[in-house]
Amino acid sequence: MDRSSTPADPERARQLAAADLAAAIERAAGDLAIAEEPAGFVAALDAGAPRGDAAPGAAARP
Amino acid sequence: MTAETLAGVAARIRRRECSPVEAVEACLARIARLNPRLHAVLRVDADQALRTARVREAEVEAGRLRGPLHGVPLAHKDLFAGPGQPASCGTAIPEYFRAERNATAPARLEAAGAITLGRLNMSELALGPFGDNAHHGDVETPWRAGHGAGGSSSGSGAAVAAGLVYGALGTDTGGSIRLPAACCGVVGLKPTYGRVSRAGAMPLSWSLDHVGPLARTVRDAALLLGAMAGPDPADPTASPRAVPDYVAALDGGVAGLRIGVPDRYYWEGLDDGVTAAARRATEVLRELGAVLLECPLPDPEPLNDLANLIARCESAAVHARLVREQPHALQPVVRARLEVGFQPSAHDYLQATRLRARATRTFVADVFATVDLLVAPTTPEPAPALAVVTAGAPGDVIRRIGRFSRLTRPWNVLGLPVLSLPCGFVPDGRPVGLQLVGRPFDEATILRAGHAYEQAAGWWRRRPPLDDAAGRR
Repeated sequence: MDRSSTPADPERARQLAAADLAAAIERAAGDLAIAEEPAGFVAALDAGAPRGDAAPGAAARP
Repeated sequence: MTAETLAGVAARIRRRECSPVEAVEACLARIARLNPRLHAVLRVDADQALRTARVREAEVEAGRLRGPLHGVPLAHKDLFAGPGQPASCGTAIPEYFRAERNATAPARLEAAGAITLGRLNMSELALGPFGDNAHHGDVETPWRAGHGAGGSSSGSGAAVAAGLVYGALGTDTGGSIRLPAACCGVVGLKPTYGRVSRAGAMPLSWSLDHVGPLARTVRDAALLLGAMAGPDPADPTASPRAVPDYVAALDGGVAGLRIGVPDRYYWEGLDDGVTAAARRATEVLRELGAVLLECPLPDPEPLNDLANLIARCESAAVHARLVREQPHALQPVVRARLEVGFQPSAHDYLQATRLRARATRTFVADVFATVDLLVAPTTPEPAPALAVVTAGAPGDVIRRIGRFSRLTRPWNVLGLPVLSLPCGFVPDGRPVGLQLVGRPFDEATILRAGHAYEQAAGWWRRRPPLDDAAGRR
């Protein structure tokens, strides 16, 4: 189906948009590790932060 | 007086060269003169602001300063709420969003001495990158009539650029701080996910939303970030990490800093003026001593798919009642974008959040092993003509929305800190924005690099043509 143009029926357009997104996600998820969990996002940010919390002059909020 | 920076006016207040009352009165006068054109400010509480200013003035005279923002007038996007202070969130419903406690970020700025003047216009429900709002008026960039301020923190960008206030808060789910910063020629900072509390801010997509400052200079943004960042019991997603002294770290320069220049996606399909300004900015960084490295990145399109699916699902969940009970109260494009979020399955959403975790881990480990930060344009084109980008059926507008925000959205999925700052102008006078992307929680490095570039390039000294005969309408 050609999805480069918007169908006249809004409900059909919504279904197509959602189906496109779902298909893209499903393709990408094909090789996800079993242990991969959403909480890994915050863990990845913490792991990638500069060591020692911050540059010289760092101070905790009182 | 309103042409000063936030840091400048704060220093003059500390030295008693001007008073908080004078600062507030100057902003109120400018709002009265310019807001009918810009539509940046939704509501001003002049009496309250002047009462607070008189208290701050007495405190200065007594030698009691509350913090680095003492006496400085600010205003914020109309999605921060508190007891008795509901927010419209850009909808036609004045009391759409209520909160039982004061929103943390603006409260912390006030605790640092700031004076809140009022509430700023925004795209409806923070869903729109151009600056249009059918309920409260389209927000124009102060640089060129008929062109949008960018969204969704449209009023924040325009108010800061026009000198209506010295700084403002915005929120960023797919670019909503950085897009108005670019379109309005000011600085905008989307901090790391978790760096600034979201408590009391209307959620659009809770796992992609970020609260951050818009200001005239990088130093001003650093001051605002330092005053509001940090843990917050009211927001469990706020990080417990200590808050660095961002201002103290500004003057380190960029000598030896490894700056990655992404290939392809971030430089393809851009307006020629945007390309020229952003390329020239990278050369300035090189001349300042940074080491520029070509930096191939993972394909950003899958990140945009994740952003779209997560944002649509979460925003439809948050605003389901409004969409189902009062659909006709919403602008057609906003309604259409929200309704898409009712369609995906729980399986799709959960897979997207798992993919996001993997994408963030691999991106941070792979990319930041070789560079300290990344540089890329903020928008593919300067502030767009509102009549053009808002024309047509919702599907047409939604495609334009996707194109205009394609350079900002990937960074929300990854949760990384991103600074947008002016890097030049296209020939007709519209500003161009540049993004600096840092490691998680390393706002200090992108602020330092941004400050070095800003001082060398000097774009921050330019003011929009609002005060001359040609600009006044």
